[in-house]
Amino acid sequence: MKSLGTVFFLFNFVFSPTCLLAQQDALSYIDNELHPGQIEHMDAAERQEVLEPPSAVEDNDPLEPINRGVFWVNDILDTILFDRISEMYVGIVPEFLRERVGYVLRNLSEPIVLVNNVLQGEMGDAEDTLRRFLINSTVGVGGVFDVSTDLNIPYKREDFGLTLASWGCGSGPYLVLPILGPSNLRDTFGRIGDYSFDPINWWAYFSDDKAAYSYGRTAIQILDAKAENIAIIEDLNKNAIDRYATFRSWYTERRNHLIAKEDVKATDTPHPDDEE
Amino acid sequence: MKKFIFLFVLFFIGAGGAFANTECEKAEAFMSEIGEKVITLLTDKSISDHERANQFREILETKFNGKAIAKFVLGRYWKQASEEEKQRFLELFKETTIASYATRFKEYTSEKFEIIGCRPEADGGVTVLSQIVRPKSQNIPINWKVFEKKGKLMIYDVALEGISMSVTQRSEFSAVIQKGGGKVQAINNALEKKLAEFGKVMNSEIRQ
Repeated sequence: MKSLGTVFFLFNFVFSPTCLLAQQDALSYIDNELHPGQIEHMDAAERQEVLEPPSAVEDNDPLEPINRGVFWVNDILDTILFDRISEMYVGIVPEFLRERVGYVLRNLSEPIVLVNNVLQGEMGDAEDTLRRFLINSTVGVGGVFDVSTDLNIPYKREDFGLTLASWGCGSGPYLVLPILGPSNLRDTFGRIGDYSFDPINWWAYFSDDKAAYSYGRTAIQILDAKAENIAIIEDLNKNAIDRYATFRSWYTERRNHLIAKEDVKATDTPHPDDEE
Repeated sequence: MKKFIFLFVLFFIGAGGAFANTECEKAEAFMSEIGEKVITLLTDKSISDHERANQFREILETKFNGKAIAKFVLGRYWKQASEEEKQRFLELFKETTIASYATRFKEYTSEKFEIIGCRPEADGGVTVLSQIVRPKSQNIPINWKVFEKKGKLMIYDVALEGISMSVTQRSEFSAVIQKGGGKVQAINNALEKKLAEFGKVMNSEIRQ
């Protein structure tokens, strides 16, 4: 356990500079400083040109055969194991309690958000996160109640993958991780980074008998995420023709949306000119 | 003179703002009207299932610009497709879209649809921001891209939590076509199969 943690940690240090050197930028449109995430308006001919090459999403999947294999295995694991557990969780534990569990987990992840706020240089956000954590941990009884949101300090998700992106690191190839599902090279390292920032993991790391706690939390986190996203996943499963491609696009778009922070990328959509 | 120029400039800024606002508000009103219509359809128990399905179809056919969306979604394959393939794709795309929305609406229970605001976009369209308020879990933000063409407002895209449906579908369809050897025929066949699946689901629900 200890050695694993050390490897993860070193990996992070090695990775960060290589990431900066090998900027394989799949997200060139977020480079425009004035309007991050926005593609400038184009006329019909230009749009046609842009639509010509295969879109970045498919282009960015050199490991597609392997990814499809992992996706397939994950699918089987979901149907025979995780979906059953998550159905049981939703069935047995009442909504109110599940919500509490979600809030506690989110509160425990707040220190990781804080580290990422600081690494991104977003000091205003860092202050909000710190306030959220302090208020919810005390007045909110260890995060059971999300008092901060009621005080108008809403939760803002951050992770090390997003931090790497804010440092100018491209997404790298799309990856499907065993059990965890859609990701890419940058976000995989991001996960490792977040793992190493987490004070609870440090606490578990230095006292081996606490390791079970760390695993247990990860398991509940997966369960919570599945229960939370069950509606959108079911919708995708029902309506998709190629589920793999849909999840790939959905993940890529979702991450780009989070990287762009503001909801400005709304011009790459169908347009009246398309009709001609 | 200075004062005059100042007033003159102010007038134009004011007029520009007002213009942008009316565009925006028009799109907002357009969306809220559709939202109300859909909710009445879903909650009014006196409407028969058959009638409900017909009215949905009418809303989707008249309020969404199906052709622009279909062409965008097919992307670079549109040019390669034969006239016959194009027609078949347009028809199948429309039918699968209607079928998938019909099943989505079926799950509607006690959610509320709220318009939050609007935002003019650089490409001349307006994004209408809305959300589905779910009593027991997080709200779902939905953005509608609306354009006015020849005095008629129409929906061109729907984005769920910042994810454009058209962009996702373009990516998916292109994957299907690539796997099918780069032929538009591949996506048409896949859509036909999907439609049959939807048909089965809907028929079995009617029988119950």
